[in-house]
Amino acid sequence: MLLRVDPSSPEPLFQQLADQVRRAVARGELTAGARLPAARELSTSLDINLHTVLRAYQELRDEGVIELRRGRGAVVARTDDLAALHEAVDQVVQTARRLHVPPATTLALLKEALR
Amino acid sequence: MTADRRPTIPHRRATTLVTLVAPVALTAVAVLVALTWADELPDPVATHWGPGGTPDDFSSLAGALLLLALTSVLLSLSCWVLALRLGAEATTRRIAAGTSVGIAALLAVLVVGSLALQRGVDDARDTGPITGVVVAAFATGLVLGVVAALLVPGDPDVTTTDAPPADAARLPLAPDERAAWTVSVWSPAAIGVALPVIALQVVLSIVLDTWLLLAIAAVLAALLATMLVLRVTVSAAGLVARSPLGWPRVHVPLEQVVAAHAETISPLRDFGGWGYRVALDGRAGFVLRAGDALVVERTGGRTTVVTVDDAATAAALLNTLAERSRVS
Repeated sequence: MLLRVDPSSPEPLFQQLADQVRRAVARGELTAGARLPAARELSTSLDINLHTVLRAYQELRDEGVIELRRGRGAVVARTDDLAALHEAVDQVVQTARRLHVPPATTLALLKEALR
Repeated sequence: MTADRRPTIPHRRATTLVTLVAPVALTAVAVLVALTWADELPDPVATHWGPGGTPDDFSSLAGALLLLALTSVLLSLSCWVLALRLGAEATTRRIAAGTSVGIAALLAVLVVGSLALQRGVDDARDTGPITGVVVAAFATGLVLGVVAALLVPGDPDVTTTDAPPADAARLPLAPDERAAWTVSVWSPAAIGVALPVIALQVVLSIVLDTWLLLAIAAVLAALLATMLVLRVTVSAAGLVARSPLGWPRVHVPLEQVVAAHAETISPLRDFGGWGYRVALDGRAGFVLRAGDALVVERTGGRTTVVTVDDAATAAALLNTLAERSRVS
């Protein structure tokens, strides 16, 4: 899988990594049993701190997205079927565009609703 | 298949010296040594030994030496032609040199050693067993073959400063953004074909109580382990494909990337099989299954191929990273 980080983005690097994995699992691009790159390998490839990768993986493990096993690395734990949610999100996006609501406002509304 | 792009073969002179000149010289020395013994040897000489350790086939000295010379020289010639036509990769040139020198040494020691045993013997039928000579021949062949392979120079590190062509796919990245692409690829052919064969050998060796079969099964299993799974990464370090054992390994640094693209590969049609392959057009790499493959054109006319899923993303990222490394 493709993983990217942008150090100039205000979002912390571990957050950027974890979000990409979450998204890939939610979209069904990563299914249960798929193996993520070893933390050490990924930190070298992206030229970031090993602890940044480990923090992202630990967060994903705490959410139950992946399993961390000694020697086996990080493995995707579950397959999400979120087709209905994707449809709903698409509708939210379309409605926001139609009403010319800026993305930040839409996000704020979503965050509020999810609280 | 894209092109008839013949890659340039580097180190032609060194390759010729090791793959052709050395083994032919070795064979010539062996023949000359045997000829100086002509007066002390029985006529005919023993050329083959039966299972009981006694000679069971005979020939004139000249006939035996002619057969040795012809076999060795023909074999070395074939290896040399192979190395100079397909040897864009150091691995190919090394295998050719190792085979050429190794087998020439094995045959030379076998023939000269068996003749040495017959010096001063009146009747070749009285020659003793040649187990020692056979062991020495295989050991010499193995050692000299490995030495020859190591003597062949590696691939030159040719770098380019040209960006990949504009029509090669790119993967848009923000100016500071870093990206890495990783994937595992495994070989259904290795598992579907080799695993049953190895299992059968293990069962046979236990049933028949033949431990040699078990040893062969172990060697096959070790080879299989190196070809079963590959971890492929595209990052600022370029393209790296390696087995979990760390070897075999292919590394294409960004400075050697001319252009990358995705292609559909048929192992049998394009590469004549599965595993680490060298095709007739000089393209080389890991062909573990049919389908999507990352194809990297490199400096020096080399082309590296790795069968992976989502090769288009890998190719685009490799082009982008290569271009970025040229600019900065």
